[in-house]
Amino acid sequence: MKLWRYIAKRLLQTVPLLIIVSLISFFIIRLSPIDPLAELRLNPSISQETLDKEIKRLNLDKPIGIQYLSWAKAFIKGDFGYTSAGEKVSTKLKERIPNTLLLTLVVIFMTWSVGIPLGIISAYKKESAFDRLLTVTASIGMAIPSFFFAILMLIFAVKTGWFPVGGLTSYNFNDMSFGNKCVDIIKHLVLPSFVLFTISLSGLQRQMRANMLEVMDSDYIKFARAKGLSEFKVVFKHALRNAVNPMITLLGFEFAGLLSGAALTEYVFQYPGLGRLILEAVMKSDINLVMASLMMGTIMLITGNLIADILLMITDPRIRGVNNGIV
Amino acid sequence: MKRVLFWIAVILIFGLCLKGCVKKDIPEKYSENILSGNIENILYPDKNKNVEINGVEYLQSQAPVGKFGGQIVVSAIGEGPKTFNPCNTKDATSASMAGLLYDGLLTTEPVTGEVIPLLAKSFEIRGNEYVIYLRKGIKWTDGTPITAEDVIYTYKDIVYAGLGNTATRDAMMIKGKLPELLKLDDYTIKFITPEPFAPFLRQLTYPIVPKHYFKPYSDKGDSVFNAFLNPDTPPKQIVSSGAFKLKEYVPAQRVVFERNSDYYKVNLDNKKLPYLDKLIYLIVGDTNNEILKFEAGEIDVLSLRGSNVARYKIKEANSNYKIYNLGADNGTLFLVINLGNRKNKEGKWNVSPIKQNWFRNRDFRTAVDWAVDRDGMIKNIAQGVAEPLFTAEGLSSIYLNKEIKGHPKDKNVSKASLEKAGFKLDNGILYDNKGNRVEFDLYTNAGSIDRESIGVMIKQDLEELGMKVNFKPIEFNSLVNKLSNTQDWDMAIMGLTGSPLEPHDGKNVWMSNGPLHLFNQRPQNYQKDDRFDWEIELDNIFEEGALKLSYKDRKPIYDKYQTIIYNEKPIIYLYSPIRITAIRKKIQNIFPSKLSGLLYNIDEIYVEKEEDK
Repeated sequence: MKLWRYIAKRLLQTVPLLIIVSLISFFIIRLSPIDPLAELRLNPSISQETLDKEIKRLNLDKPIGIQYLSWAKAFIKGDFGYTSAGEKVSTKLKERIPNTLLLTLVVIFMTWSVGIPLGIISAYKKESAFDRLLTVTASIGMAIPSFFFAILMLIFAVKTGWFPVGGLTSYNFNDMSFGNKCVDIIKHLVLPSFVLFTISLSGLQRQMRANMLEVMDSDYIKFARAKGLSEFKVVFKHALRNAVNPMITLLGFEFAGLLSGAALTEYVFQYPGLGRLILEAVMKSDINLVMASLMMGTIMLITGNLIADILLMITDPRIRGVNNGIV
Repeated sequence: MKRVLFWIAVILIFGLCLKGCVKKDIPEKYSENILSGNIENILYPDKNKNVEINGVEYLQSQAPVGKFGGQIVVSAIGEGPKTFNPCNTKDATSASMAGLLYDGLLTTEPVTGEVIPLLAKSFEIRGNEYVIYLRKGIKWTDGTPITAEDVIYTYKDIVYAGLGNTATRDAMMIKGKLPELLKLDDYTIKFITPEPFAPFLRQLTYPIVPKHYFKPYSDKGDSVFNAFLNPDTPPKQIVSSGAFKLKEYVPAQRVVFERNSDYYKVNLDNKKLPYLDKLIYLIVGDTNNEILKFEAGEIDVLSLRGSNVARYKIKEANSNYKIYNLGADNGTLFLVINLGNRKNKEGKWNVSPIKQNWFRNRDFRTAVDWAVDRDGMIKNIAQGVAEPLFTAEGLSSIYLNKEIKGHPKDKNVSKASLEKAGFKLDNGILYDNKGNRVEFDLYTNAGSIDRESIGVMIKQDLEELGMKVNFKPIEFNSLVNKLSNTQDWDMAIMGLTGSPLEPHDGKNVWMSNGPLHLFNQRPQNYQKDDRFDWEIELDNIFEEGALKLSYKDRKPIYDKYQTIIYNEKPIIYLYSPIRITAIRKKIQNIFPSKLSGLLYNIDEIYVEKEEDK
């Protein structure tokens, strides 16, 4: 019961947050000197009349406050409006969301299933050769900018011919059998997910190592060891349980990054994901598209945090015990 | 000691590896033939003929007979098409893709640039009457015949009604009137223009659309019509007439076209074209990605620029592609000077009066022009793959004024004309006749490496004259906003696209009330007549030029407009890149043309199959 009240309270708190986020982002975009019609204006064959029609269609002739209100009214009704090119924002998003989800889920699955064990091992075998090797590789992974690494990978693909150069599917994808389709997608996914994997793995692995080290140093672990428990029990039953709590909070943030985390990599790999769409939309001040994706990002962030907090309540009895102690 | 030796060895090995990676400069001797691959000596096939087979009036291609089947993959840079509605395209990608789906009555001869029949069988011009004869027996992709009804509908209900992109309507408008349109019978129509009007014939290249498919949407007005045929439309529904049908559109990845098996063009064996089964556009975000895709063999055609040309040239001999030089690009790259002398809505000067005195002075502009080092730009920025430009018409335009020879950079001429205008050089600093230091801003759009480099070079050139130039690359959108709305700029480096065939298309730039009259932009509905004498002359030229019909009559008129701009220099032209394109050797029936490029005859192009070699 307490849990439900807590969730309801959190959900209620999101409303003003959403309003503030939308206000700030709307006005920042609209007050930036970006003109959504710039390209049309510089086209010698576009007449003033066509321009006027576009201005009217995009509501650019109205004061900015009115523009915001009409956007907000439509948004509450669930209508995301149209892009500046006249396509429905909702269909545009629907086209891209599955692609981005596919990429980020693959990456998250890979990093977590590799990063956590590596973190545990390197903490347990602190200062060993293996730990040092991991430290070096992690530093490299953290130091390489993602776009640069992505370009390196693209060159690798061109030189070896083992992987396709960007995209998600080959041009004859629709004529393939189901098995070949899967192979095709996997081939396209290897490089972008490898780039994202390498980069987020280092951080995660270091985080896990640090958490684990902290716990391994604490008195109760010493006590458990002194009591004569087996190393396996010490590490997995006592240490891990406590070390993993901060990781759950981290997972909440990862959830928020699900849809927007990989824009640069997507751009370099020409991956048809949401990140690339939003990047292009921001460049053109395509307000409806940008707003829809920003709102989606905010909602994802809030939900992610909420889920993390609920998970924490389940895993950590201390939090459960204290009344409303969660912030 | 051992340790030290070990580290020295490591460093040595590492260094050697690095050295192997460093690319050596391209030897000088290659640079001469960078621009080879010229297309002067190409033998073009005869012009298309009309043939009648079983009562159907086909268009017959005279190109060598090829092999059916296969596909070619090309690239489209950017975000992909925004619509397949040929009446509502506002960007180049959408226009070229919609253009594949829908043919116009007439088309442009790819080599000479004259207007020739396409969907129409033939046409006659009698004074201001244009009679168009349609082909009998040809069909839309759903089997409905193409008749005069469709043509009348396209022009009356879409073009004249102002649906979609109104550029064609504006171009057809003669002194506020649109041409009359009559249906003589099911396969004959007649246009009557209020008076003879040269650009009119070219407007008949406008794509004809099927009435039965478009009418339900065009009846509902602009907003419904604009959304019609957007990229979510299921391809099977689309009724079209072109050589290719839409097969699938995968957002941000590709557009696939397949052969229209009932196209009205046949080859010399009277077999229906096109040869290709599929034409695939891969949507790529930028040119770097395009190059990688070409190298990986994913695309078949690649346009090369600057530094890449030499590299590809060297590799050409042992490769599976051939490089063509298609001549200078028809877009223009220029330095524009703000001659405006107006205040904004708040009553503040767009350009301060001190600067107005400089910019509105022709001698000042002449000094700038003579100081600009075009040859240096071509050498350093375009890597030799460009030609200097001095005219408002692009170098491939059929109306290019060849009398204008241009001039090299000459600081002395600049100094002389500055002196004439009363400017004084003191200690290397230039002052005007009232003692104000000459200092102004130079803008261009950030992100374009070429333009930013040009800006740096121009800044240096002008600072040699003692001017102080604040070079500011800004975001493209903000620059356009400055140029077309706020007008608080001094000089800018910009580029515009242009038509190599019809100088009248430049009227938005050159006529004093045009929405793109960059150098002296007047607000909308501006009443005051504050035109320069030469601006009045330009207005007259563009009005007069459109009313003359033959090329012979029009050429001198448009020659004059280029001379005026060359003399007055509100816009100082810089250079035109040369278009160099690589295409795989397996693609046959390629007859490159300076006007139309490589793939204009996509319905005649075929692929040599690998096993035949």
